[in-house]
Amino acid sequence: MSFWETITGSDLTRESKVLEARAQALPADYQAAWEQIKNNLYTYGDFSGRNLMPIFDNALGLLEEASADGLSIHEVLGDDIPGFCQALAGGKEARTYRDRWREQLNRNVARKLKRLGG
Amino acid sequence: MDDLTEMLKGTLEGCVLEIIDGEETYGYAITRRLNELGFADVIEGTVYTILLRLERNGLVQVTKRPSEMGPPRKFYALNDAGREELATFWAKWQYVSVRINKLREGGR
Repeated sequence: MSFWETITGSDLTRESKVLEARAQALPADYQAAWEQIKNNLYTYGDFSGRNLMPIFDNALGLLEEASADGLSIHEVLGDDIPGFCQALAGGKEARTYRDRWREQLNRNVARKLKRLGG
Repeated sequence: MDDLTEMLKGTLEGCVLEIIDGEETYGYAITRRLNELGFADVIEGTVYTILLRLERNGLVQVTKRPSEMGPPRKFYALNDAGREELATFWAKWQYVSVRINKLREGGR
């Protein structure tokens, strides 16, 4: 990753375009699932979302393999897309925005309390 | 049998390890094998996330192979760490099943 890419995220835009082009080749119900997967995975992203790129790649890889096998999207993902995304992002321990904000809040409160002599 | 999912959760990873130990194989074939065994509820996505976890924990060796149609497939084989993990799984399974069977027999 070059400095320019770090600042502008241009590599992410480029990678997203590649991913979307791959997704376009999938059957319609797979594409709908892809949209849902993306929406679910965004909550596991870091500030730039760069950490999600390999996860997106994995998810799309599964969809591509499964559609080539002629499976229905239900046979692949079942009813629980959020659960699938959680497992994909690294299980229950996958940290989300909310976890980080909560931690930060706790830290700040603890620090302020200490200053007050609490 | 419905609703086996909860009970299976802890053991599915061991089942997948055992299947891979037999021969190098890929995600969909593993799912089908589990379905044939009678675990009808197991879906491809579940197996896939288990495989990712195994990969992340360094228990499998992954090879990408071209397939007749569609994208190249990821094939999985156990490495030494994976075989060790599989042995541990069977030891744990033995431990649990012996005790649960004892409980059942004692309860009669």
